[in-house]
Amino acid sequence: MLVDNGSAWTKGAVVGRSRGRWRIAAHAAQPSTWDDADLVAGLAARLGGHADQRVTERLQRILTDAPRIACHTPARPGRLALVAVSADLSGRAARRAAESAGWVVAEAATVDDGRSAAERLVALQAAEVDAWLLAGGFDAEGGEMALDMAGLVAAARGDGHSPVVWAGSVQLAARVAALFEAGAVRAVANPRPAADREDPLPLRRYLEALLERLVEPGGARQLAPVGFSRAVAELARASQLRIVGIDLGARYATWVSADGGGHAESRILASGGLASPTITVPGGPARIAHSLPIAIDELAVADALQNLRARPGALPQTDEELAIVHGAARALLAELAADESVPDGADLLIGAGLTVAGAPHPAQAMQLLLDGVRPLGVTQLAVDSAGVLPPLGALGNDEIAEGIGTLRDDLLTPLGAAVVSQGGRAGHTAFRITVHRIGWPSLGPVEVRAGQLVLLPLGRGQIAELEIELESGVMIGTPRRARRSHATVMGGAVGLALDARDVPLVLPRRTDDRRAVLASWRDALQREPARPAAGAA
Amino acid sequence: MNGSALHRIRLQRGTALAVRVGAEIRPDEVIGLRREPLAPISVPVARPLHRKPTEIAETLQVRPGSRVHAGEVLARENGHEVTSPQAGLVLAVSRGDGSILLAPLGPEQPVIGHVRGRVHAIEENALLVEVPAARVRGVGGSGDAVHGELVVGVHNPEDELRAAAIDVGATGKILVGGSRASAEALTRARAMGVAGIVLGGVLDKELRDFEAIQRRRREAGGMTGSFGLLLLEGFGKVGIDPQLFGWFRAHAGRMASLFGADGLLYIYDAGAAPTRRPVPTVGDRIVAHRRPFQGRGGVVVALLEDLHAASSGIATSMALVRFEDGRLAPVPLANIEAIVAPEAR
Repeated sequence: MLVDNGSAWTKGAVVGRSRGRWRIAAHAAQPSTWDDADLVAGLAARLGGHADQRVTERLQRILTDAPRIACHTPARPGRLALVAVSADLSGRAARRAAESAGWVVAEAATVDDGRSAAERLVALQAAEVDAWLLAGGFDAEGGEMALDMAGLVAAARGDGHSPVVWAGSVQLAARVAALFEAGAVRAVANPRPAADREDPLPLRRYLEALLERLVEPGGARQLAPVGFSRAVAELARASQLRIVGIDLGARYATWVSADGGGHAESRILASGGLASPTITVPGGPARIAHSLPIAIDELAVADALQNLRARPGALPQTDEELAIVHGAARALLAELAADESVPDGADLLIGAGLTVAGAPHPAQAMQLLLDGVRPLGVTQLAVDSAGVLPPLGALGNDEIAEGIGTLRDDLLTPLGAAVVSQGGRAGHTAFRITVHRIGWPSLGPVEVRAGQLVLLPLGRGQIAELEIELESGVMIGTPRRARRSHATVMGGAVGLALDARDVPLVLPRRTDDRRAVLASWRDALQREPARPAAGAA
Repeated sequence: MNGSALHRIRLQRGTALAVRVGAEIRPDEVIGLRREPLAPISVPVARPLHRKPTEIAETLQVRPGSRVHAGEVLARENGHEVTSPQAGLVLAVSRGDGSILLAPLGPEQPVIGHVRGRVHAIEENALLVEVPAARVRGVGGSGDAVHGELVVGVHNPEDELRAAAIDVGATGKILVGGSRASAEALTRARAMGVAGIVLGGVLDKELRDFEAIQRRRREAGGMTGSFGLLLLEGFGKVGIDPQLFGWFRAHAGRMASLFGADGLLYIYDAGAAPTRRPVPTVGDRIVAHRRPFQGRGGVVVALLEDLHAASSGIATSMALVRFEDGRLAPVPLANIEAIVAPEAR
């Protein structure tokens, strides 16, 4: 069994042998407050109709005793106090590195935060933290203000034992260390070494290791965000594709970008999930209400989002609640994507987490990924609907390739492919596309106007050659002068989405117009794809 | 049988504890003393010691972070000394003007634990107290730790706590409201000196408005006393489950402690409170947590086989529930919890 014990939902999958091959035979998800026996019973019920009759009666016992590969969401996030000179320079770079490494910034103090030194000191004394992160000063200049802020930390920390990380000017490292007891301070490369340069990677790496040591000693591989990252990297290596994977959970959000060599960069946001406070901050509910295709009062949106935080293990029961949850998911995915750059686009975009991968209709999952991430160019889209990537990523270095390879055909549910363009004049043609399907008549050329989303039929496993002709001012990530390009795509549960809605999405200001446009996009993906007349979408 | 729980009191750094492990404490007892740092002052060092500002480092007897007493030597050179004018925390040393920045410590302020019980353990910046009380855990809350006598402020669990119903009789008490309270009602409660309020639900906007009012009053310096709010069921207009409401009624007049930010309520010397259990079975009394039945109670009449789609389209395990208003509806099992009466446990 593969089990992912999430903070709100537990996902389980049964791996069984069928006709000589290892397959994912059944999967189920349940709130994490339920017992393990309930998960076993749920999986046995799913298997019931398909399993060998000789073992049907004993399924629950067999599943209970089955070997497990398990992972879990961290029991609690690491909490950090961030003290820096400037909120926008040193503070911003250090915060990005810390949050990307899975830390929660519980308290932040900067010289320009508008508080007096005494107020900062009181706030830092009150903060319940696992570690202190200090940043400030450019490497070439030093910076006395950074030293003053270090003094503030020394005063606030008192006789505490929590570690201090100095990620500021290299020239000040020794003087900062002298403010604390021997061995308390670890100097790490400055994430903002100069005014015009940011290099958060060494700090992120160090903070990842520190988090492992302080919060989950010895078990990092069994952490779901780490497992997800490792599984995506292995998939990329095995398929030689550039893959972006996004796991949007209740508390955590994980973004992984892996190249064909299996080298992965990941960001783990401990407060990036759907039950995180970021979506309920003032202005958050209004932003989400603004993005919905149906009219829902902003106050109702705010209450629904708060309930999502209060009871993340409950399910949206009504259309309205589902629309709100999906609105929140789109906003969080967009925030994640805004902080990332996918060099030259990605070949495959994987959505994971119950909200995305468990969306009632595959078209909803595709729209969440397209609207949230806006993957420029030609991209395959898929979801980890069985929730098996994080537990498979918990396998050891010598087993992960075998684990991923054995189940490769079942790991992902392909949604299809998308062509996403940027630029173009509203209402005018953005690109023309001709779809050559093996064994089927070609489609098109189909004209897609700027602002339009069109779905063409392309079934699961069906391969198509695309001929794309871009209008002036429109890009799909190919070299600027290349107006024509070709790509090979494979279909899925939804089809081939032709998306000329710009990057980022542009929405009308008038409420009625905006809702009409949002509803038309939703309907375009959710209705049965039609074979278009040549020359028009 | 009375309940018992372990409660963690978080202490700000710099708090001097006044209790030891094993000590019995009362809710209003001073468990420690704390001196808040005040606006920093500059203590000249270079001039009195006749050194250049850049040379004071070698004269210093303290470093940033040091806690000093009044009269303690800060710097020394050839028999000359610079002493601290007040007790305080050294924040920084300026090589620009050759001075020390010192945050004086204000007068000692008592730290109140707001719980009754026995000190179980002392951790770094925290105290663990064994509390002889029944614990009720909410889904959220806000405000301070408070304690007071428990009173019930509404007739029915689905009633709204009206501002007009709050008077001086509730001063210093923890008031059990019903399905919601407006920002006006919360503001009035605070103004009347109510220690805390327990609600089934509250509108996010009302809570935000109330918190904004409190913030403005705090900034203006016109706010005294503490106030805590505990939210039991969820956001929106959500009644308290009738069984729990009845239990509150039965324990009205008992001393209680409310920790708004932690979403916790303790009622002392009380029998165990009704609890919740996931995965209800047929015949269980339940409470629903999501719209359109949020906060409503009912009885499970059947568990549906296989997965069924909710109206949102999500396929999931469902239960057929007869709600108290007579409606019969399928509800996702994930969205309901069985209510377990104390005697049934």
